[in-house]
Amino acid sequence: MNINEIISSGLLESYVLGTATTEENALINQLCKKHPELVREIELIEEGLINFSGKADSPLNPELKSMIQEQLSFTEAKPAMAEARVVELHAPVESRLNLYKFGIAASIVMFIVSFIYNIMLQKELSKVNGELAELGATKSYMADELKIQQASFKNMNDRFGVVSNPKTKTVALNGMNYLAKSSAAVHWNTETDEVYFNAAALPGSPANKQYQLWAIVEGKPVDMGMIDMGSSTAVFQKMKAVKGAQAFAVTIEDVGGSAAPTLETMCLLGNV
Amino acid sequence: MGQKQTYTQDELIVLIREKDQKAFSYLYDNYSQALFGVINAIVNDTEESEDVLQKAFLKIWNSFSSYDTEKGRLYTWMLNISRNMAIDSTRSKHEKIKSKIQSTDENVYKYENSLSVDDASHDLIGLKTILNNLKEEHRQIIDLVYFEGYTQDEISKKLGMPLGTVKTKVRQAILTLRELTKKEFLQ
Repeated sequence: MNINEIISSGLLESYVLGTATTEENALINQLCKKHPELVREIELIEEGLINFSGKADSPLNPELKSMIQEQLSFTEAKPAMAEARVVELHAPVESRLNLYKFGIAASIVMFIVSFIYNIMLQKELSKVNGELAELGATKSYMADELKIQQASFKNMNDRFGVVSNPKTKTVALNGMNYLAKSSAAVHWNTETDEVYFNAAALPGSPANKQYQLWAIVEGKPVDMGMIDMGSSTAVFQKMKAVKGAQAFAVTIEDVGGSAAPTLETMCLLGNV
Repeated sequence: MGQKQTYTQDELIVLIREKDQKAFSYLYDNYSQALFGVINAIVNDTEESEDVLQKAFLKIWNSFSSYDTEKGRLYTWMLNISRNMAIDSTRSKHEKIKSKIQSTDENVYKYENSLSVDDASHDLIGLKTILNNLKEEHRQIIDLVYFEGYTQDEISKKLGMPLGTVKTKVRQAILTLRELTKKEFLQ
């Protein structure tokens, strides 16, 4: 079948108008995969129809859009719907909460146990003394552990606060090159300009190199700081603040960073 | 990295399926004016057309799972929903009036939906001026296929024209409209 014949037959107009048969639709879908010029013609036909249809009437009442929007439900970073967006943090928060509860429960249990032992073993002082000393040490250990879990919980809670804040824009970063299999996100509070880099599982940077975050502002890259890998592959780090970011990207630079990004090493990129 | 985000049809479809608010915003910004144009051409009442447009967008968003790319373009699907709702809206208003119209075979089904008896003077306040720029035969065919939802097979029978000719005339009409609206746009 000659592509030009198909175009001049008006079959594509039928397709866009919705009057083509099921077989014709299937044929066109198939041909479009191999012939981009068909896709282009379809887009032009559609564009023409849309321009024509929208030409005559005066612009729509702007309130109409918000009226419609209010009646629809979306997947967004609203507090009530935070679960859908905050997938990466959800599990850690939950497990930290469980450890926190466990920490409290365990220390309460330990306290009760040592109290009971105290009464029961009053007759055998030396034995009780020995055991009390042992229990005391364990209780101290649990108290330390509780403090650690509390700090961790506060940390997770703060992160949750960052991400679920309605003023925060979450920008997904797609991986490429060195990080082709990875993904990450940037949480940008457009009110306070704060920026947080968030990656659940980031591979270590190559030897003697560091990841550097950039924001694209007015088409130019602005340094947002070096990403501190720490001891684990998960990163949630407050970076420099920025206004007017259009996109965020990560490149691989020498340790300490670079004044300008080495674009060939770009490994994460996302548009705001 | 410009201010305005553009999506390909495929990207947009993915985002709509995810119920992304950006996608709704994009959909509305790019298509509402056109869909309103079609609706208002049929309903001919701004307030009622705004109402139909709202219902159409609700249906588009909430029943998006029933859109299948195998069936055709996204705009085509939205156009169908909007047009059918517009037709339904006028049908309930004009049922009484229509019962008096001549009841010869297929004409009843078709003209039940139009606002006038004579199919040549379909009352298009908004888009009329543009359509009047077309040759009469082109204007009539576009009216039937775009606003009344006739299939080209039905038009072929109605106008006594071979199907292939109907298709090429539709193409010619749309090519003219593309030129016309391009020029106006640049003005």
